[in-house]
Amino acid sequence: MSEPIVRYNNVTKYFDDLQVLDGIDFEIQPGEKVALIGPSGSGKTTFARLLMTLEEITDGTIEVEGDYLWHEQDDNGDLKPASTEHLRKVRSNIGMVFQHFHLFPHMTVLENVMEAPVTVQGRDKKEAKKAAEEMLDKVGLLDKADSYPAQLSGGQKQRVAIARALVMNPKVLIFDEPTSALDPELVGEVLDVIKDIADQGDTSMLLITHEMDFAKEVADRIAFFDGGKIIEDGPPSEILYNPKAPRLKEFLERFMNTQSSPE
Amino acid sequence: MWDWNYAFEVLPDIASALWVTISATLVGFVLALVVGLIWTLMIRSNNKIISNVADGIVKFIRNTPLLVQLYFIFYVFPQFGLSLEPFTAGVIGLGLHYSTYLSEVYRSGIESVGPGQWEVATALNFDTRKTWTRIILPQAIPPVLPVIGNYFITMFKETPLLSAITLVEILQTAQNIGAGTFRYTEPLTIVGVLFLLLSYPASVALRQLEIRVTERY
Repeated sequence: MSEPIVRYNNVTKYFDDLQVLDGIDFEIQPGEKVALIGPSGSGKTTFARLLMTLEEITDGTIEVEGDYLWHEQDDNGDLKPASTEHLRKVRSNIGMVFQHFHLFPHMTVLENVMEAPVTVQGRDKKEAKKAAEEMLDKVGLLDKADSYPAQLSGGQKQRVAIARALVMNPKVLIFDEPTSALDPELVGEVLDVIKDIADQGDTSMLLITHEMDFAKEVADRIAFFDGGKIIEDGPPSEILYNPKAPRLKEFLERFMNTQSSPE
Repeated sequence: MWDWNYAFEVLPDIASALWVTISATLVGFVLALVVGLIWTLMIRSNNKIISNVADGIVKFIRNTPLLVQLYFIFYVFPQFGLSLEPFTAGVIGLGLHYSTYLSEVYRSGIESVGPGQWEVATALNFDTRKTWTRIILPQAIPPVLPVIGNYFITMFKETPLLSAITLVEILQTAQNIGAGTFRYTEPLTIVGVLFLLLSYPASVALRQLEIRVTERY
């Protein structure tokens, strides 16, 4: 097996006195698609947000392609908190698609996708425009390039958000419940886009989802979170059809019974 | 009581002093816009010292009268070796005073931008400066433009205070004319009418802006 692209070492996270992650070790291989499932408050979102540097790590380390994300090594090889430059450098490998899209409302669809390549990566405007148009084409929204986010449906917004994340060429792309905020009839179009990307890309994916069928279809591996720990972790067939941990069995049963509102 | 000939005789002098009033307003307001933003950013700083010091200064300036501040800048600063022309002192006083109001306006605009925009800026790896200039401020400012415009008109109407520090603006000019002829009615009326002629269209335009902003946001 090749070097993992992401490695969590004994990662712990507290919000004040509340422990949300409890010494997690986890690896993601290049190109691997991992679905994270588990009840609300189980730590799966925090787990992903630590990788996107949206929450600060309390203890442990995360490595991205062998570089520490939250730390730097000083001359003696000891770990110290990462500088902003270091954090930004390592973070540039990670992208994220949010539950509530968070498009830039003051920019057109095309500008939304072009903005970060130009402003952050310093790419040539013409090249960035071409890349952005390619991405919009990929998510089926090239005809909406000049629209503003307010003119789009939720499903379209999320597809733009996916194009915006993809155009940065992340090595790892996090999807945080990408369809939870959508009307049921719009879920399919977004899942289709994610599936396409999963099929054709060598981007690793971390997919937080309540769509079990989808997880089964897209993910190489499913990790089940409960109480700040990964209780069980394996291929979808094992996790969904042959669960071992009692908590996972319980979760899946409850989930099957309340499919419409998994939480 | 009212003498048209006299009125027309003094009108050019007063109207020409309008230029002083307008330029004091413009320069003062630009100062207020810039310094106000600096206060807001300082108050939002993660550095507690910077944040508290800025917050303290803003509260102090906002809660003391503009006239006292103008007297201080013009009459007390020279004792510490800083002598300023009336125009400069006046513009600094106006600008500083209104910067504290604008800082509050900026704050409300910035807080109206949801936390998701900050998070997506991080996710797309924007640095702090670009996050502000490309994402946060372009969303924070347009909704508060009408309030900013309101302060602009209010400041314009407060410029006669600068006559207290010997700036010969429009009111002071009228007063000088009155003092020379003992006829105050016409010059002072003209001052009022000139202010009205400028503020009223400005507030109508502002109302239009407000409608457009409400439609958009």
